[in-house]
Amino acid sequence: MTDVISRRALLGGFAATGTLLAACGRLDEKSPFHQLLDVADGFTLHAQRLILSSRPLVRELPVSEISKTFPTNGTTMPKADYYKRMLDTDFRDWKLRVHGLVDRPLALTLAQLQSLPSRTQITLHQCDEGWSAIGQWTGVQLSRVLALSGLGRGARYVVFHCLDKIDLDGAYYYESLDLLDALHPQTILAYGMNGKPLPVANGAPLRLRIELQIGYKNAKYVDRIEVVDSLNSIGKGRGGWWEDFDHAVWYAGQ
Amino acid sequence: MGAQGNLVTQQLDYRHPWPVRIWHWVNAAAVVVLLLTGLLLFDIHPHLYWGEDGHAGIPAFLSLSGTDLDRAVPQTELQIGSRRWDVTGVLGSVIDDGFGGKYLLVVAAPEDWEFGATRGWHFAFAWILALSFLLYGLYILVSGRLAKMLLPMRSDLTLRSIAHEVWQHLRLRRARGQAARNYNLLQKLSYLFVIFVLIPTIVLSGLTMSNAMTAAFPDLFMLFGGRQSARSIHFLAAMLLVLFVFVHVFQVFVAGFFNLMRSMITGRYAVDREDSV
Repeated sequence: MTDVISRRALLGGFAATGTLLAACGRLDEKSPFHQLLDVADGFTLHAQRLILSSRPLVRELPVSEISKTFPTNGTTMPKADYYKRMLDTDFRDWKLRVHGLVDRPLALTLAQLQSLPSRTQITLHQCDEGWSAIGQWTGVQLSRVLALSGLGRGARYVVFHCLDKIDLDGAYYYESLDLLDALHPQTILAYGMNGKPLPVANGAPLRLRIELQIGYKNAKYVDRIEVVDSLNSIGKGRGGWWEDFDHAVWYAGQ
Repeated sequence: MGAQGNLVTQQLDYRHPWPVRIWHWVNAAAVVVLLLTGLLLFDIHPHLYWGEDGHAGIPAFLSLSGTDLDRAVPQTELQIGSRRWDVTGVLGSVIDDGFGGKYLLVVAAPEDWEFGATRGWHFAFAWILALSFLLYGLYILVSGRLAKMLLPMRSDLTLRSIAHEVWQHLRLRRARGQAARNYNLLQKLSYLFVIFVLIPTIVLSGLTMSNAMTAAFPDLFMLFGGRQSARSIHFLAAMLLVLFVFVHVFQVFVAGFFNLMRSMITGRYAVDREDSV
């Protein structure tokens, strides 16, 4: 969704489209239109939870299906000085922090993450722009990391705080999952892609793979994981950067 | 006949019971919103592929691309297969992304439109379309309307009768009297195609683009030949639905706007009395 935010600056439009869509799009956040959107998204969430009650895995593909090229989207090189320093030293000094409603806050180096049992999966990545590509991801299951930290009382959501900015003047990227998706066996913190270390453009040192949901939920450059009881205190309260600043749906399993 | 006709010479059939009328208009509204939001979603990546993956670098069988984006009217090209057409000024408009980049869009969106919300709107109205369609489907089955109004009669299906229908349509002749009481053969076939082929195809191919749905029902990938094939079929089936809507609305004008609108609003449809005994 690299450029989607900017498309709000579109000019003109077909008269018929304009009138109807403007009615939906130009309203403040608490508008009934946006509430209707959230109701529909909740409907989708609950319907899909019912359908996914047997906790199926998404399809995994053979090596021969891996896409020759994998598009990079969103940020491809974080601008923060901190990130550049970490990159210069191959992330040796970088640590993934896990905090919030956990029993044992963690600070794990990349080497420590890599020493945990790993999972490798070849899956179809789908962007909400419409394109898709197949990649192989290697990482540690998020459930393993959360098992190390333990979950505190009231823990409901897992928030991923990232090192990149879509809007360079704005907030750092963030995303969130509820526990059911966070603990899915294919939800991994990936440090490898297609048999190699995760490239910078794909989110080095660590990115989220949430195979049950669409592209923008798969946060890149994950720096810190926060377990919370509510998304209200995160950003503007909708649980993710695109959700807050472009009113994307929070549950994106559609 | 409609409004111009003398009501004394007409009788009013109760043609469309309320569930059909409600479904028709709910569905019409949902289709309009789904089409507009769908085109906006297509805008972001106006390329259609076949198979599982599709992105820049993979050949698209249909693609809209623009060059010279700095010009007020950019050079725009539509490619289908190996053929290319210059569609400059016809399809596509350019927007500035505010960060120095420019993008080509098929349809323009209004200022301040939130693209992130576009999928949300699409799915909200997809729910409305799918649920009302299920209720409608149940209704036409249970009430017998499917058999009575929509399925062709055996006598309709002779070559002679089909040829006659096609000829009547080509001459834009509207049915009169007793014949106007029933849907004609081509009308029945087009409605059946929309109900049993187009809408289910659109819904299922749409679900095939869902990570969660395909986790639960991986056979959807088999059904459509992959994620990108499903997206392409979704788009093409939607275009067929647009074609249907155009013909459908055109026919309403041919066959009597007032009478047909009344019948889909109040249920009452006027038939000429002198012919109708």
